[in-house]
Amino acid sequence: MLEIQGVTKRFFPGTVNERVALNHLSLDLKEGDFVTIIGSNGAGKSTLLNVISGRYPIDEGAILIGGRDISRMPEHKRARFVARVFQDPMAGTAPRLTLEENLSIAFDRGQRRGLSLAVTNKKREQYREALAKLDLGLENRLSLRVGMLSGGQRQALSLLMAAYQQPDILLLDEHTAALDPSRAELVTRLTGELIQENGLTALMVTHNMHQAIELGNRLVMMHEGNIVLEVDEDAKKTVTAEELLEEFAKTKGAHLSDRTMLD
Amino acid sequence: MIIALEIGLLYAVMAIGVYLTYRVLDFPDLTVDGSFTTGAATTAVFILAGAPPALAMVAGFLSGVIAGIITGGLHVWGNINPLLAGILTQIALYSINLRIMGKANLPLLRSETMFTPLRENQMLGTWASVAMFAVVAAIIGGLLYWFLGTRYGVAIRATGDNELMAKAQGINTGQGKIVGLAISNGLVALCGSLIAQYQGFADISMGIGLIVAGLASVIVGQAIFGMTAVWQAVFAAAIGSVIYRGIIQLALNAGLNPNDMKLISAVLVVLALTIPSLSPLKRRRQKRIRDKAVAQVGAQ
Repeated sequence: MLEIQGVTKRFFPGTVNERVALNHLSLDLKEGDFVTIIGSNGAGKSTLLNVISGRYPIDEGAILIGGRDISRMPEHKRARFVARVFQDPMAGTAPRLTLEENLSIAFDRGQRRGLSLAVTNKKREQYREALAKLDLGLENRLSLRVGMLSGGQRQALSLLMAAYQQPDILLLDEHTAALDPSRAELVTRLTGELIQENGLTALMVTHNMHQAIELGNRLVMMHEGNIVLEVDEDAKKTVTAEELLEEFAKTKGAHLSDRTMLD
Repeated sequence: MIIALEIGLLYAVMAIGVYLTYRVLDFPDLTVDGSFTTGAATTAVFILAGAPPALAMVAGFLSGVIAGIITGGLHVWGNINPLLAGILTQIALYSINLRIMGKANLPLLRSETMFTPLRENQMLGTWASVAMFAVVAAIIGGLLYWFLGTRYGVAIRATGDNELMAKAQGINTGQGKIVGLAISNGLVALCGSLIAQYQGFADISMGIGLIVAGLASVIVGQAIFGMTAVWQAVFAAAIGSVIYRGIIQLALNAGLNPNDMKLISAVLVVLALTIPSLSPLKRRRQKRIRDKAVAQVGAQ
Protein backbone atom coordinates (compact mmCIF):
# COMPACT_ATOMS: atom_id res chain seq x y z
CA MET A 1 0.00 0.00 0.00
CA LEU A 2 2.70 2.47 1.04
CA GLU A 3 6.24 2.04 -0.26
CA ILE A 4 8.98 4.37 0.91
CA GLN A 5 12.05 3.73 -1.20
CA GLY A 6 15.41 5.11 -0.10
CA VAL A 7 14.04 8.51 0.85
CA THR A 8 16.48 11.23 1.88
CA LYS A 9 15.49 14.62 3.23
CA ARG A 10 18.03 17.33 4.04
CA PHE A 11 17.29 20.59 5.76
CA PHE A 12 19.34 23.70 4.88
CA PRO A 13 21.35 21.81 2.23
CA GLY A 14 24.70 23.33 1.31
CA THR A 15 24.95 25.43 4.48
CA VAL A 16 26.81 24.89 7.73
CA ASN A 17 23.46 24.07 9.29
CA GLU A 18 22.80 21.19 6.90
CA ARG A 19 21.03 18.38 8.67
CA VAL A 20 20.04 15.03 7.23
CA ALA A 21 16.61 14.34 8.67
CA LEU A 22 15.97 11.19 6.65
CA ASN A 23 18.87 9.09 5.40
CA HIS A 24 17.96 6.66 2.61
CA LEU A 25 15.04 5.39 4.61
CA SER A 26 12.94 2.54 3.26
CA LEU A 27 9.71 1.16 4.69
CA ASP A 28 6.88 -0.93 3.24
CA LEU A 29 3.35 -1.01 4.58
CA LYS A 30 0.87 -3.62 3.41
CA GLU A 31 -2.82 -2.83 3.28
CA GLY A 32 -4.21 -2.82 6.82
CA ASP A 33 -0.81 -2.46 8.48
CA PHE A 34 -0.75 -0.22 11.52
CA VAL A 35 2.84 0.69 12.30
CA THR A 36 3.89 2.55 15.44
CA ILE A 37 7.12 4.58 15.36
CA ILE A 38 9.32 5.37 18.35
CA GLY A 39 12.77 6.93 18.46
CA SER A 40 15.16 9.51 19.76
CA ASN A 41 14.74 13.27 19.55
CA GLY A 42 15.44 14.44 16.04
CA ALA A 43 15.34 10.90 14.67
CA GLY A 44 13.21 12.13 11.76
CA LYS A 45 9.89 10.65 12.88
CA SER A 46 7.81 13.73 12.19
CA THR A 47 9.81 14.48 9.05
CA LEU A 48 8.90 11.03 7.77
CA LEU A 49 5.19 11.80 8.17
CA ASN A 50 5.68 15.24 6.62
CA VAL A 51 7.35 13.88 3.48
CA ILE A 52 4.59 11.30 3.07
CA SER A 53 1.91 13.99 3.34
CA GLY A 54 3.79 16.26 0.94
CA ARG A 55 4.44 19.08 3.36
CA TYR A 56 8.17 18.75 2.69
CA PRO A 57 9.58 17.77 -0.71
CA ILE A 58 12.10 14.91 -0.71
CA ASP A 59 15.68 15.12 -2.01
CA GLU A 60 16.16 11.48 -3.05
CA GLY A 61 14.14 8.30 -3.34
CA ALA A 62 10.47 7.75 -4.05
CA ILE A 63 7.18 7.39 -2.23
CA LEU A 64 4.50 5.14 -3.72
CA ILE A 65 0.92 4.69 -2.61
CA GLY A 66 -0.93 1.75 -4.13
CA GLY A 67 1.89 1.45 -6.68
CA ARG A 68 1.54 5.07 -7.79
CA ASP A 69 4.51 7.40 -7.44
CA ILE A 70 3.36 10.46 -5.50
CA SER A 71 6.82 11.88 -4.74
CA ARG A 72 6.17 15.06 -6.73
CA MET A 73 2.46 15.46 -6.07
CA PRO A 74 1.49 18.69 -4.23
CA GLU A 75 0.22 18.43 -0.68
CA HIS A 76 -3.44 19.20 -1.36
CA LYS A 77 -3.65 16.55 -4.08
CA ARG A 78 -2.06 13.92 -1.87
CA ALA A 79 -4.83 14.54 0.64
CA ARG A 80 -6.97 12.27 -1.55
CA PHE A 81 -4.82 9.35 -0.34
CA VAL A 82 -3.23 10.61 2.86
CA ALA A 83 -4.93 11.98 5.99
CA ARG A 84 -3.24 13.34 9.08
CA VAL A 85 -3.80 14.13 12.72
CA PHE A 86 -1.32 16.56 14.24
CA GLN A 87 0.13 16.77 17.73
CA ASP A 88 -1.48 20.17 18.32
CA PRO A 89 -5.16 19.50 19.08
CA MET A 90 -6.02 22.89 17.53
CA ALA A 91 -4.31 22.13 14.21
CA GLY A 92 -6.76 19.67 12.68
CA THR A 93 -9.94 21.75 12.78
CA ALA A 94 -11.02 25.27 11.80
CA PRO A 95 -12.07 27.14 14.98
CA ARG A 96 -14.33 29.78 13.40
CA LEU A 97 -16.26 27.21 11.39
CA THR A 98 -19.08 25.22 12.94
CA LEU A 99 -18.91 21.50 13.63
CA GLU A 100 -21.03 20.73 10.58
CA GLU A 101 -18.91 22.99 8.35
CA ASN A 102 -15.73 21.32 9.57
CA LEU A 103 -17.22 17.94 8.80
CA SER A 104 -18.26 19.13 5.34
CA ILE A 105 -14.60 19.96 4.67
CA ALA A 106 -13.65 16.40 5.63
CA PHE A 107 -16.60 15.00 3.65
CA ASP A 108 -15.30 16.72 0.49
CA ARG A 109 -11.69 15.59 0.87
CA GLY A 110 -10.41 14.33 -2.45
CA GLN A 111 -13.42 15.68 -4.33
CA ARG A 112 -14.10 18.79 -6.36
CA ARG A 113 -15.55 21.49 -4.17
CA GLY A 114 -18.28 23.08 -6.23
CA LEU A 115 -21.02 25.63 -5.70
CA SER A 116 -23.56 23.36 -4.05
CA LEU A 117 -24.27 24.07 -0.41
CA ALA A 118 -21.78 22.58 2.04
CA VAL A 119 -24.38 21.77 4.65
CA THR A 120 -27.77 20.39 3.65
CA ASN A 121 -30.33 18.57 5.78
CA LYS A 122 -29.36 15.27 4.25
CA LYS A 123 -25.67 15.79 4.90
CA ARG A 124 -26.43 17.08 8.38
CA GLU A 125 -27.89 13.67 9.23
CA GLN A 126 -24.71 11.98 8.02
CA TYR A 127 -22.57 14.33 10.09
CA ARG A 128 -24.76 13.71 13.13
CA GLU A 129 -24.36 9.96 12.70
CA ALA A 130 -20.59 10.23 12.37
CA LEU A 131 -20.31 12.44 15.45
CA ALA A 132 -22.49 10.10 17.50
CA LYS A 133 -19.77 7.45 17.16
CA LEU A 134 -17.42 9.65 19.21
CA ASP A 135 -19.78 9.36 22.16
CA LEU A 136 -19.01 12.91 23.26
CA GLY A 137 -22.49 14.31 22.79
CA LEU A 138 -21.28 16.50 19.92
CA GLU A 139 -24.00 15.22 17.59
CA ASN A 140 -26.45 17.68 19.19
CA ARG A 141 -24.22 20.72 18.71
CA LEU A 142 -23.73 20.75 14.96
CA SER A 143 -23.97 24.52 14.68
CA LEU A 144 -21.48 25.18 17.49
CA ARG A 145 -18.21 26.79 16.43
CA VAL A 146 -15.34 24.36 16.89
CA GLY A 147 -13.25 26.97 18.74
CA MET A 148 -15.64 26.48 21.67
CA LEU A 149 -14.63 22.84 22.13
CA SER A 150 -11.94 21.56 24.49
CA GLY A 151 -8.60 20.25 23.22
CA GLY A 152 -9.65 16.65 23.73
CA GLN A 153 -12.92 17.16 21.89
CA ARG A 154 -11.14 18.91 19.04
CA GLN A 155 -8.58 16.14 18.74
CA ALA A 156 -11.31 13.49 18.69
CA LEU A 157 -13.01 15.53 15.96
CA SER A 158 -9.71 15.84 14.04
CA LEU A 159 -9.35 12.09 14.15
CA LEU A 160 -12.89 11.56 12.93
CA MET A 161 -12.36 14.09 10.12
CA ALA A 162 -9.08 12.48 9.05
CA ALA A 163 -10.65 9.01 8.89
CA TYR A 164 -13.99 10.19 7.45
CA GLN A 165 -13.32 9.52 3.78
CA GLN A 166 -11.29 6.37 4.43
CA PRO A 167 -7.83 7.52 3.38
CA ASP A 168 -5.37 4.98 1.97
CA ILE A 169 -2.88 6.07 4.63
CA LEU A 170 -3.60 7.64 8.00
CA LEU A 171 -0.70 9.54 9.62
CA LEU A 172 -0.79 10.20 13.35
CA ASP A 173 1.91 12.50 14.71
CA GLU A 174 1.97 12.13 18.50
CA HIS A 175 -1.66 13.07 18.39
CA THR A 176 -2.29 12.27 22.06
CA ALA A 177 0.87 13.88 23.46
CA ALA A 178 -0.68 17.28 24.19
CA LEU A 179 -3.79 15.93 25.94
CA ASP A 180 -4.34 15.25 29.61
CA PRO A 181 -4.18 11.53 30.53
CA SER A 182 -7.91 10.79 30.49
CA ARG A 183 -8.43 12.58 27.16
CA ALA A 184 -5.33 10.92 25.74
CA GLU A 185 -6.77 7.55 26.68
CA LEU A 186 -10.08 8.40 25.01
CA VAL A 187 -8.38 9.51 21.79
CA THR A 188 -6.12 6.42 21.85
CA ARG A 189 -9.16 4.18 22.18
CA LEU A 190 -10.95 6.01 19.34
CA THR A 191 -7.84 5.68 17.18
CA GLY A 192 -7.74 1.91 17.64
CA GLU A 193 -11.46 1.59 16.94
CA LEU A 194 -11.48 3.78 13.84
CA ILE A 195 -8.49 2.05 12.31
CA GLN A 196 -9.84 -1.41 13.01
CA GLU A 197 -13.42 -0.73 11.89
CA ASN A 198 -12.32 0.84 8.62
CA GLY A 199 -9.33 -1.43 8.05
CA LEU A 200 -7.10 1.63 7.60
CA THR A 201 -3.38 1.54 6.90
CA ALA A 202 -1.73 3.77 9.46
CA LEU A 203 1.57 5.16 10.71
CA MET A 204 1.67 6.51 14.25
CA VAL A 205 4.52 8.40 15.90
CA THR A 206 4.41 8.21 19.67
CA HIS A 207 6.51 8.90 22.74
CA ASN A 208 4.51 6.52 24.83
CA MET A 209 6.15 3.05 24.85
CA HIS A 210 3.05 1.46 26.23
CA GLN A 211 0.95 2.97 23.43
CA ALA A 212 3.51 1.91 20.82
CA ILE A 213 3.33 -1.69 22.02
CA GLU A 214 -0.43 -1.83 22.62
CA LEU A 215 -1.53 -0.32 19.33
CA GLY A 216 -0.83 -1.55 15.84
CA ASN A 217 0.58 -4.74 14.39
CA ARG A 218 4.14 -3.56 13.65
CA LEU A 219 6.64 -1.33 15.40
CA VAL A 220 9.72 0.47 14.11
CA MET A 221 12.40 2.34 15.99
CA MET A 222 14.11 5.29 14.31
CA HIS A 223 17.47 6.90 14.94
CA GLU A 224 19.32 9.59 12.98
CA GLY A 225 17.06 9.48 9.98
CA ASN A 226 16.85 5.76 9.59
CA ILE A 227 15.12 2.69 10.92
CA VAL A 228 17.32 0.85 13.43
CA LEU A 229 14.87 -1.80 14.61
CA GLU A 230 11.77 -3.41 13.13
CA VAL A 231 9.45 -5.52 15.24
CA ASP A 232 7.21 -7.68 13.07
CA GLU A 233 3.70 -8.85 13.74
CA ASP A 234 4.56 -12.01 15.73
CA ALA A 235 7.35 -10.47 17.75
CA LYS A 236 5.25 -7.42 18.60
CA LYS A 237 2.69 -9.54 20.45
CA THR A 238 5.23 -10.46 23.12
CA VAL A 239 7.70 -7.57 23.10
CA THR A 240 8.11 -5.54 26.30
CA ALA A 241 9.22 -2.00 26.94
CA GLU A 242 12.38 -3.28 28.65
CA GLU A 243 13.38 -5.32 25.62
CA LEU A 244 12.89 -2.32 23.35
CA LEU A 245 15.02 -0.17 25.60
CA GLU A 246 17.73 -2.80 25.61
CA GLU A 247 17.66 -2.98 21.81
CA PHE A 248 17.86 0.74 21.68
CA ALA A 249 20.87 0.90 23.97
CA LYS A 250 22.74 -1.32 21.51
CA THR A 251 22.43 1.37 18.85
CA LYS A 252 25.55 3.46 19.16
CA GLY A 253 24.92 6.87 20.62
CA ALA A 254 21.19 6.46 20.74
CA HIS A 255 19.03 7.72 23.56
CA LEU A 256 15.33 7.43 23.56
CA SER A 257 13.64 10.78 23.55
CA ASP A 258 13.72 12.29 27.03
CA ARG A 259 9.98 12.65 26.83
CA THR A 260 9.47 8.91 26.48
CA MET A 261 7.01 7.49 28.93
CA LEU A 262 7.50 3.94 30.08
CA ASP A 263 4.26 3.27 31.88
CA MET B 1 -27.86 63.05 6.23
CA ILE B 2 -29.74 61.22 3.46
CA ILE B 3 -26.74 61.85 1.23
CA ALA B 4 -24.48 60.21 3.82
CA LEU B 5 -26.88 57.24 3.90
CA GLU B 6 -26.77 56.93 0.12
CA ILE B 7 -23.01 57.13 0.00
CA GLY B 8 -22.69 54.72 2.92
CA LEU B 9 -24.87 52.16 1.16
CA LEU B 10 -22.91 52.51 -2.09
CA TYR B 11 -19.62 52.05 -0.23
CA ALA B 12 -21.13 49.02 1.52
CA VAL B 13 -20.30 47.10 -1.66
CA MET B 14 -16.63 47.83 -1.02
CA ALA B 15 -16.92 47.04 2.69
CA ILE B 16 -18.35 43.61 1.83
CA GLY B 17 -15.38 43.02 -0.48
CA VAL B 18 -12.91 44.11 2.22
CA TYR B 19 -14.64 41.79 4.70
CA LEU B 20 -13.94 38.86 2.37
CA THR B 21 -10.19 39.43 2.34
CA TYR B 22 -9.57 40.96 5.76
CA ARG B 23 -11.79 38.70 7.84
CA VAL B 24 -12.52 35.57 5.81
CA LEU B 25 -9.12 35.08 4.19
CA ASP B 26 -7.18 36.87 6.95
CA PHE B 27 -5.39 38.71 4.12
CA PRO B 28 -5.12 42.49 4.65
CA ASP B 29 -5.37 43.45 0.99
CA LEU B 30 -4.07 46.90 0.06
CA THR B 31 -4.90 46.44 -3.63
CA VAL B 32 -8.18 48.19 -2.81
CA ASP B 33 -6.87 51.75 -3.23
CA GLY B 34 -5.87 50.89 -6.79
CA SER B 35 -8.64 48.53 -7.86
CA PHE B 36 -11.36 50.95 -6.73
CA THR B 37 -10.05 53.55 -9.16
CA THR B 38 -9.54 50.90 -11.86
CA GLY B 39 -13.22 50.02 -11.64
CA ALA B 40 -14.20 53.68 -11.82
CA ALA B 41 -11.82 54.39 -14.71
CA THR B 42 -12.89 51.37 -16.75
CA THR B 43 -16.57 52.15 -16.31
CA ALA B 44 -16.02 55.82 -17.19
CA VAL B 45 -14.16 54.97 -20.38
CA PHE B 46 -16.87 52.51 -21.43
CA ILE B 47 -19.62 55.03 -20.75
CA LEU B 48 -17.82 57.80 -22.61
CA ALA B 49 -17.44 55.42 -25.56
CA GLY B 50 -21.22 55.08 -25.58
CA ALA B 51 -21.56 51.66 -23.95
CA PRO B 52 -24.69 50.94 -21.91
CA PRO B 53 -24.07 51.58 -18.18
CA ALA B 54 -24.74 47.92 -17.25
CA LEU B 55 -22.01 46.73 -19.63
CA ALA B 56 -19.68 49.45 -18.33
CA MET B 57 -20.22 48.18 -14.81
CA VAL B 58 -19.55 44.56 -15.75
CA ALA B 59 -16.30 45.75 -17.34
CA GLY B 60 -15.48 47.65 -14.14
CA PHE B 61 -16.13 44.58 -12.03
CA LEU B 62 -13.92 42.43 -14.27
CA SER B 63 -11.07 44.96 -14.11
CA GLY B 64 -11.10 44.53 -10.33
CA VAL B 65 -11.17 40.73 -10.69
CA ILE B 66 -7.98 40.94 -12.75
CA ALA B 67 -6.33 43.20 -10.16
CA GLY B 68 -7.22 40.68 -7.44
CA ILE B 69 -5.79 37.81 -9.45
CA ILE B 70 -2.53 39.73 -9.84
CA THR B 71 -2.21 40.37 -6.10
CA GLY B 72 -3.16 36.76 -5.37
CA GLY B 73 -0.68 35.47 -7.94
CA LEU B 74 2.13 37.59 -6.50
CA HIS B 75 1.42 36.14 -3.08
CA VAL B 76 0.71 32.51 -4.01
CA TRP B 77 3.09 31.93 -6.91
CA GLY B 78 5.69 34.55 -6.05
CA ASN B 79 5.67 33.90 -2.29
CA ILE B 80 5.40 37.63 -1.65
CA ASN B 81 4.11 38.80 1.71
CA PRO B 82 0.37 39.71 1.51
CA LEU B 83 0.83 43.37 2.47
CA LEU B 84 3.66 43.85 -0.01
CA ALA B 85 1.80 42.02 -2.79
CA GLY B 86 -1.15 44.37 -2.30
CA ILE B 87 1.00 47.50 -2.25
CA LEU B 88 2.85 46.44 -5.41
CA THR B 89 -0.38 45.95 -7.32
CA GLN B 90 -1.80 49.17 -5.92
CA ILE B 91 1.19 51.23 -7.08
CA ALA B 92 1.28 49.55 -10.48
CA LEU B 93 -2.44 50.22 -10.89
CA TYR B 94 -1.89 53.96 -10.45
CA SER B 95 -0.04 54.04 -13.77
CA ILE B 96 -2.49 51.65 -15.38
CA ASN B 97 -5.45 53.75 -14.23
CA LEU B 98 -3.89 56.82 -15.86
CA ARG B 99 -3.39 54.78 -19.04
CA ILE B 100 -7.02 53.67 -18.98
CA MET B 101 -8.36 57.19 -18.43
CA GLY B 102 -5.78 59.00 -20.60
CA LYS B 103 -5.90 61.91 -18.13
CA ALA B 104 -6.35 62.43 -14.42
CA ASN B 105 -10.06 63.19 -14.47
CA LEU B 106 -12.95 62.02 -16.65
CA PRO B 107 -16.26 63.90 -16.25
CA LEU B 108 -19.44 61.87 -16.84
CA LEU B 109 -21.95 64.60 -16.17
CA ARG B 110 -23.41 64.69 -19.67
CA SER B 111 -23.36 60.93 -20.16
CA GLU B 112 -26.01 58.33 -19.58
CA THR B 113 -25.15 56.44 -16.37
CA MET B 114 -26.90 53.98 -14.07
CA PHE B 115 -28.12 56.95 -12.03
CA THR B 116 -29.43 59.10 -14.90
CA PRO B 117 -33.01 57.75 -14.59
CA LEU B 118 -32.96 58.44 -10.85
CA ARG B 119 -31.59 61.93 -11.35
CA GLU B 120 -34.12 62.77 -14.06
CA ASN B 121 -36.97 61.66 -11.80
CA GLN B 122 -35.44 63.63 -8.95
CA MET B 123 -35.20 60.54 -6.80
CA LEU B 124 -31.56 60.98 -5.81
CA GLY B 125 -31.22 62.21 -2.24
CA THR B 126 -34.65 60.84 -1.31
CA TRP B 127 -35.73 57.80 0.67
CA ALA B 128 -36.60 56.10 -2.62
CA SER B 129 -32.96 56.07 -3.70
CA VAL B 130 -31.86 55.06 -0.21
CA ALA B 131 -34.21 52.07 -0.36
CA MET B 132 -32.94 51.16 -3.83
CA PHE B 133 -29.30 51.35 -2.78
CA ALA B 134 -30.11 49.29 0.31
CA VAL B 135 -31.62 46.60 -1.91
CA VAL B 136 -28.50 46.57 -4.09
CA ALA B 137 -26.23 46.24 -1.04
CA ALA B 138 -28.50 43.49 0.35
CA ILE B 139 -28.38 41.55 -2.92
CA ILE B 140 -24.59 41.70 -3.05
CA GLY B 141 -24.30 40.80 0.63
CA GLY B 142 -26.76 37.95 0.10
CA LEU B 143 -24.77 36.62 -2.85
CA LEU B 144 -21.57 36.63 -0.83
CA TYR B 145 -23.36 34.93 2.08
CA TRP B 146 -24.61 32.24 -0.28
CA PHE B 147 -21.14 31.78 -1.79
CA LEU B 148 -19.51 31.41 1.62
CA GLY B 149 -21.97 28.63 2.42
CA THR B 150 -21.13 26.58 -0.69
CA ARG B 151 -18.57 23.81 -0.64
CA TYR B 152 -16.05 26.09 -2.37
CA GLY B 153 -16.91 28.98 -0.06
CA VAL B 154 -16.50 26.89 3.09
CA ALA B 155 -13.13 25.74 1.73
CA ILE B 156 -12.07 29.39 1.34
CA ARG B 157 -13.19 30.13 4.90
CA ALA B 158 -11.23 27.13 6.19
CA THR B 159 -8.17 28.42 4.29
CA GLY B 160 -8.36 31.75 6.11
CA ASP B 161 -9.10 30.10 9.44
CA ASN B 162 -6.55 27.26 9.53
CA GLU B 163 -4.44 26.88 6.40
CA LEU B 164 -2.56 23.84 7.71
CA MET B 165 -5.83 21.99 8.20
CA ALA B 166 -7.19 23.19 4.88
CA LYS B 167 -4.20 21.77 3.00
CA ALA B 168 -4.32 18.53 4.96
CA GLN B 169 -7.97 18.19 3.95
CA GLY B 170 -7.08 18.55 0.28
CA ILE B 171 -8.05 22.18 -0.24
CA ASN B 172 -6.06 23.99 -2.92
CA THR B 173 -5.42 26.95 -0.62
CA GLY B 174 -3.46 28.96 -3.17
CA GLN B 175 -6.30 28.82 -5.67
CA GLY B 176 -8.83 29.65 -2.95
CA LYS B 177 -6.89 32.77 -1.97
CA ILE B 178 -6.67 33.95 -5.57
CA VAL B 179 -10.39 33.41 -6.12
CA GLY B 180 -11.18 35.22 -2.85
CA LEU B 181 -8.99 38.18 -3.80
CA ALA B 182 -10.51 38.26 -7.29
CA ILE B 183 -14.06 38.42 -5.94
CA SER B 184 -13.11 40.96 -3.29
CA ASN B 185 -11.41 43.30 -5.72
CA GLY B 186 -14.21 42.77 -8.22
CA LEU B 187 -16.64 44.11 -5.60
CA VAL B 188 -14.29 46.97 -4.74
CA ALA B 189 -14.02 47.91 -8.44
CA LEU B 190 -17.80 47.63 -8.81
CA CYS B 191 -18.09 50.07 -5.92
CA GLY B 192 -15.65 52.41 -7.70
CA SER B 193 -17.78 52.11 -10.80
CA LEU B 194 -20.94 53.04 -8.83
CA ILE B 195 -19.26 55.97 -7.08
CA ALA B 196 -17.89 57.39 -10.35
CA GLN B 197 -21.37 57.34 -11.87
CA TYR B 198 -22.96 58.71 -8.70
CA GLN B 199 -20.60 61.67 -8.36
CA GLY B 200 -20.36 62.19 -12.12
CA PHE B 201 -16.63 61.73 -12.65
CA ALA B 202 -13.74 59.32 -12.32
CA ASP B 203 -10.58 60.70 -10.77
CA ILE B 204 -7.11 59.24 -10.45
CA SER B 205 -6.96 60.02 -6.72
CA MET B 206 -10.44 58.79 -5.77
CA GLY B 207 -9.11 55.53 -4.30
CA ILE B 208 -6.41 56.95 -2.07
CA GLY B 209 -6.82 55.82 1.52
CA LEU B 210 -9.96 53.83 0.77
CA ILE B 211 -8.62 50.65 2.34
CA VAL B 212 -8.76 52.49 5.65
CA ALA B 213 -12.40 53.39 5.02
CA GLY B 214 -13.09 49.76 4.15
CA LEU B 215 -11.36 48.48 7.27
CA ALA B 216 -13.12 51.11 9.38
CA SER B 217 -16.49 49.88 8.06
CA VAL B 218 -15.70 46.23 8.74
CA ILE B 219 -14.18 46.82 12.18
CA VAL B 220 -16.72 49.37 13.41
CA GLY B 221 -19.60 47.24 12.13
CA GLN B 222 -18.31 44.11 13.78
CA ALA B 223 -17.55 45.91 17.03
CA ILE B 224 -21.22 46.90 17.16
CA PHE B 225 -23.03 43.94 15.59
CA GLY B 226 -20.64 41.07 16.27
CA MET B 227 -19.30 38.58 13.77
CA THR B 228 -20.18 35.17 15.10
CA ALA B 229 -22.22 33.99 12.15
CA VAL B 230 -21.33 34.72 8.53
CA TRP B 231 -24.60 36.54 7.74
CA GLN B 232 -24.04 38.67 10.82
CA ALA B 233 -20.51 39.59 9.75
CA VAL B 234 -21.57 40.48 6.18
CA PHE B 235 -24.44 42.58 7.51
CA ALA B 236 -22.12 44.27 10.02
CA ALA B 237 -19.68 45.23 7.25
CA ALA B 238 -22.46 46.82 5.19
CA ILE B 239 -24.00 48.69 8.13
CA GLY B 240 -20.50 49.60 9.30
CA SER B 241 -20.06 51.44 6.00
CA VAL B 242 -23.19 53.49 6.63
CA ILE B 243 -22.09 54.28 10.19
CA TYR B 244 -18.65 55.27 8.95
CA ARG B 245 -20.08 57.70 6.40
CA GLY B 246 -22.40 59.04 9.10
CA ILE B 247 -19.44 59.77 11.37
CA ILE B 248 -17.59 61.47 8.51
CA GLN B 249 -20.67 63.59 7.82
CA LEU B 250 -20.92 64.57 11.49
CA ALA B 251 -17.25 65.55 11.48
CA LEU B 252 -17.81 67.72 8.39
CA ASN B 253 -20.87 69.32 9.98
CA ALA B 254 -18.79 70.04 13.05
CA GLY B 255 -16.57 72.24 10.91
CA LEU B 256 -13.69 69.96 9.94
CA ASN B 257 -12.72 70.23 6.30
CA PRO B 258 -12.62 67.37 3.75
CA ASN B 259 -8.83 67.26 3.91
CA ASP B 260 -9.09 66.10 7.52
CA MET B 261 -11.08 63.02 6.53
CA LYS B 262 -8.08 60.70 6.10
CA LEU B 263 -6.94 61.57 9.61
CA ILE B 264 -10.41 60.95 10.98
CA SER B 265 -10.60 57.60 9.14
CA ALA B 266 -7.29 56.48 10.59
CA VAL B 267 -8.21 57.58 14.12
CA LEU B 268 -11.53 55.77 13.80
CA VAL B 269 -9.82 52.51 12.82
CA VAL B 270 -7.33 52.85 15.68
CA LEU B 271 -10.16 53.43 18.16
CA ALA B 272 -12.23 50.55 16.82
CA LEU B 273 -9.22 48.25 17.06
CA THR B 274 -8.02 49.31 20.50
CA ILE B 275 -11.15 50.14 22.50
CA PRO B 276 -12.51 46.56 22.51
CA SER B 277 -9.18 45.32 23.90
CA LEU B 278 -9.01 47.84 26.76
CA SER B 279 -8.98 45.82 29.93
CA PRO B 280 -12.42 46.46 31.51
CA LEU B 281 -14.27 45.85 28.25
CA LYS B 282 -12.08 42.87 27.44
CA ARG B 283 -12.74 41.26 30.79
CA ARG B 284 -16.45 41.71 30.30
CA ARG B 285 -16.38 40.27 26.82
CA GLN B 286 -14.22 37.32 27.79
CA LYS B 287 -16.59 36.57 30.63
CA ARG B 288 -19.52 36.72 28.22
CA ILE B 289 -17.80 34.36 25.78
CA ARG B 290 -16.85 32.01 28.62
CA ASP B 291 -20.38 31.94 29.98
CA LYS B 292 -21.74 31.26 26.52
CA ALA B 293 -19.27 28.42 25.94
CA VAL B 294 -20.06 26.87 29.29
CA ALA B 295 -23.78 27.13 28.62
CA GLN B 296 -23.46 25.61 25.15
CA VAL B 297 -20.96 22.87 25.81
CA GLY B 298 -22.17 22.02 29.29
CA ALA B 299 -20.30 19.81 31.65
CA GLN B 300 -18.85 16.78 29.97
